[in-house]
Amino acid sequence: MRSSKIIRTIAQKLFPFIVLFGFYLISHGHLSPGGGFQGGVVLGTAIILLALSHSIEQTEKKFKSRWLNMLEKLGILTLIFLGFLGIFLGYSFLGNFLPLGNPGQIASGGLMLLLNIAIGIKVAAGVSVIFYALVRYRGEI
Amino acid sequence: MFKEMKKAFFIIIILAMTILFILSVDIEYGNPKNLDVANYYIEQGLYDTGAINLVAAIYLGYRAYDTLMETIVLFVAVAGVVFCLRGKR
Repeated sequence: MRSSKIIRTIAQKLFPFIVLFGFYLISHGHLSPGGGFQGGVVLGTAIILLALSHSIEQTEKKFKSRWLNMLEKLGILTLIFLGFLGIFLGYSFLGNFLPLGNPGQIASGGLMLLLNIAIGIKVAAGVSVIFYALVRYRGEI
Repeated sequence: MFKEMKKAFFIIIILAMTILFILSVDIEYGNPKNLDVANYYIEQGLYDTGAINLVAAIYLGYRAYDTLMETIVLFVAVAGVVFCLRGKR
């Protein structure tokens, strides 16, 4: 089924802003409300919006299912790798081995930014992988 | 029939003992006097973790294990959905 031209145009114009908002939520997770989970869900919603307004085939050409699967595993492996890196550098598991920095700046919080980015990538890929699996099970949107 | 009744009887006994044990332990949850941990987080959270968002300071600093396991839960959920819906077109 094909959506109307208005919906397709609006979704296409809105897509970059939703992605930008998702990246903002992820990268400012330690400064303002938000974080990896919420930002990841916003990023996944952007892909779902594109798939609902356009067809699923067009969206799968841009965001391939294989790459999203790989990104999900990459996110969780990055999280565990960062945890073990703390052990190798002489701290506890998932301990903070980066300098804390000035409070309120984007570089403060040490490891938190990297953890948020890994969680965000993982959640975004996971939500869209679930959506792709459900659409494939049904055969259409 | 008899076996199942025996099993149900044992389960009921174990549940009742668990509930009695929980009720007998004298911990006052939500008592305003027992706020030491919360006060510690509020006072020392910024200096320990360097994040001005206290929620992030707790879920990525003090309780990062919880966040890691939550992420693994989502991973298992995605794996289960993909496994259950495989091969259908």
